[in-house]
Amino acid sequence: MATATSQREQDMVSPTDGLPFERISTGELVLQAVYSALVTVMLLEIGVIVFRVLEPLVHHAPALLGSDATIDETFTRTIGNALMTIAPFLAYAVAGHKMKPLASVDRARALGAALAAAAMVFVLVTMGQYVFRIGPFAERPSLEMTLRQTDAGILVEEVVSGGAADRAGIRPGDRITAIRRVEVTLAELNTAVRQSKVGDVIRLRVERGDEEEQFPVEIAAAMEIRPAALAAGLVIALLIAAVAVFWPGGWTPYALLIAIMLPLAVGYLWLIIATFSFRTEGLLPVNAQGEVGGLTLRNWEFLWREATGSNPSIWRVTLNTLVIATAMMAIVLLVSSMAGYALSRMNFPGRRTFLSLTLILHGFPAVTLLIAIFFVLRNIGNIPVLGDYFGFNTRGGIALVMVAFELPLGVWLMKGFFDGIPWDIERSALIDGASRWRTFYEILLPQIRPGLLALGIFAFISGWGAYLIPQTYSIGTKTATLAVYINQLTSDTAPVNWNEIAAVGLFQMLPVFVIFIFAQEYLLNIYAGGTKGSS
Amino acid sequence: MRIALEHLTKKFGNVVGVEDVSLDIRDGEFVAFLGPSGCGKTTTLLMVAGIYRPTAGIIRFGDRVMNQVAPKDRNIGMVFQSYALYPHMTVFGNIAYPLKLKKVPKQEQIARVQAVADKMGIGDLLDRRPGQLSGGQQQRVALGRALVKQPDVLLFDEPLSNLDARLRLVMRAEIKHLQKELGITSIYVTHDQVEAMTMADRIAVIQNGRLQAFDTPDDLYDRPKTLFIAGFVGNPPMNFVDVEIEQTNGVYYAVGPALRVAVPPDRGAAAAAHGGRVVMGIRPEDITIDPAGAVRGRVFVVEPLGRDDLLDVELDAHTRLHVLADPKLKVSAGDPISLKLDTQKVQFFDVATERSLLWQ
Repeated sequence: MATATSQREQDMVSPTDGLPFERISTGELVLQAVYSALVTVMLLEIGVIVFRVLEPLVHHAPALLGSDATIDETFTRTIGNALMTIAPFLAYAVAGHKMKPLASVDRARALGAALAAAAMVFVLVTMGQYVFRIGPFAERPSLEMTLRQTDAGILVEEVVSGGAADRAGIRPGDRITAIRRVEVTLAELNTAVRQSKVGDVIRLRVERGDEEEQFPVEIAAAMEIRPAALAAGLVIALLIAAVAVFWPGGWTPYALLIAIMLPLAVGYLWLIIATFSFRTEGLLPVNAQGEVGGLTLRNWEFLWREATGSNPSIWRVTLNTLVIATAMMAIVLLVSSMAGYALSRMNFPGRRTFLSLTLILHGFPAVTLLIAIFFVLRNIGNIPVLGDYFGFNTRGGIALVMVAFELPLGVWLMKGFFDGIPWDIERSALIDGASRWRTFYEILLPQIRPGLLALGIFAFISGWGAYLIPQTYSIGTKTATLAVYINQLTSDTAPVNWNEIAAVGLFQMLPVFVIFIFAQEYLLNIYAGGTKGSS
Repeated sequence: MRIALEHLTKKFGNVVGVEDVSLDIRDGEFVAFLGPSGCGKTTTLLMVAGIYRPTAGIIRFGDRVMNQVAPKDRNIGMVFQSYALYPHMTVFGNIAYPLKLKKVPKQEQIARVQAVADKMGIGDLLDRRPGQLSGGQQQRVALGRALVKQPDVLLFDEPLSNLDARLRLVMRAEIKHLQKELGITSIYVTHDQVEAMTMADRIAVIQNGRLQAFDTPDDLYDRPKTLFIAGFVGNPPMNFVDVEIEQTNGVYYAVGPALRVAVPPDRGAAAAAHGGRVVMGIRPEDITIDPAGAVRGRVFVVEPLGRDDLLDVELDAHTRLHVLADPKLKVSAGDPISLKLDTQKVQFFDVATERSLLWQ
């Protein structure tokens, strides 16, 4: 197999490959680069064909392979479009990349050749775009006449013969004053045209000499060459090729990662901007008039808002959430680690049954248990003292219910971590003189620290974001959590301030964010070595 | 510390791990438990350590019955095949851990750990973590941890199996030297008969949970009591041939389908007394190539071992003998060959019971 591939590659390389660069003319180098770039475009276009032209085939591919999965139509279209969009840029990059070996010998010559190749590729790409009427040559709705703004209305300077305006009877020298009875400027007219569809009719009020007349113009599709777009395209092409020549190979993975991360980062950026804005348009904060600006702190006003009848103070709610999440983390860690140890290391009757039952509980949808748990909590509430802290409508009760739902995951996770510790370490500790209990917390627990951290963080976060259980088992606002608080903001009869909701959301997210920043080191740090075969 | 195992038995549910093992280990003795994987030798060791509780039988340290004594109260040191170091502690922390649990004063801990570490040649590694050490260094740490509390008994569970061949040789000598120097009663579990032969004062051969023999290495090698021991101890293993003993003119002959050799009168008589078919055993190094030899065959395979060539000699379709030969003889496969057996060393075993007819 390997030999066959290398054989094929040898057949494909041009006779000039492998020669010292001094013996190859620059023109030849440029042609080679253009060739490689075109091959790249071709390969991508094959992808486009597969995803767009052969769409039905792609949709049925899983079925042909015996899978039940379905492929969404928008998915194939998106992929096709994405390939189509990146194809030219990739081609410029390939053209530049081809000159990389030369760059280590002769920078100037490499750069020159890369730019020349990129320019040629650009010309070819532009030709392609012209043929397919895309990019700078895309067809847009047009009146097919040249206009100029004057004091006395919009002056028609030229009319494309046989075009939309010509067909409607408009002649050069006419002055357009209004659409129907609404007076327009040139900018407004252009906007109106851009927003209409081909085939729509716009009634233009036209002054011709002293007469005034209305002409219904049917909007046509016209190719409008935009030189600015073409120039920008060329500059980008040259820039990409130049960067590709000097692009250090080690940067590629980072560039890819950044490209993938960008949508996520933009999302967070938007969230942050939105909380400080009156309104946003894209990433730009705008004021009530739609002008850029409008930065405000009013979305954060909830931080110092006093509690009113139905609206609790945010700090009270945060304290509730913190108590529930912390309690949950502590109880889940304690119970899971001990139960996991017992299930991993001890043999007792019912061990297997217990394991499968916890798994079933894990798969149980919480919603189906809501009513049953309500009665349980009500009954706990009837127990003196204990009921005051763990009954219905208490933070303890809510934490208890959430712990129960989190435990199956925790127990299984901890059992898995304990299973991974060799028996010999435990035996060694027992022989060294430790009791079983001491072995557990002094020898075994430190070794599953990454697991404990992970589980602790999971438990804390699920408590921090809890909604269903606190919403169900609390009356009024006494035990409301942050998620419940956000819900109350939307359920008001007054208009919803989405930016304020974004602010509360950001406020709720911050601790989680901080935890992840500090804990990721521990989450990634798995102990290595010390026991043969277990690292 | 004298250790006595009396009718020790361990069952896991219906599976028998160890059955009726009785042996007596003298104070300061180095005993190896030798046997193939899964034979119950580690189970026996873990019972001595107190990790497993015996199903039946008694374990004595000195005169004290240890069956109900927790591992921490037995004052033993143990070295594991996997090293079993605590990965979250430094080398110092690992070695000091038994002392910490005994509540030895901090100053004394430091002095004792340093002394042991220096003895093991890891005195400058005390700040490292186990993950930063090589396999050999980790094993030294494990050994240091076992020794630091000055145990009455040292237990080794295949401690050298994870080391490379060279290092194994070095550690083998070091462990043996240490044991003799400190005089601590030691039990050493291994499946490697070379390790057992070279290190141990006495070897307990265990098969299928039963004690097959408990003897000195020389006795096991020269006077194997069962067919299993004869085949298990020694490398390359002993040859076995089914023969019948005939007596002609006062001389005993072992007669097989492809050979007929005279055997010494004492051994021949013992085998003849049994009568009928017996298994004759002869080690490869007790067979020499001799043109005048009585046994003829054809070389089937030649395996060069470096110092010797191991020949696989075909006597007939059913009988083959392993023979150690001098490489200078340049024997090659297919050559006809004549062999001479050193009959002073032949063994005879009962076909059915597989017990030796010579040694009881």
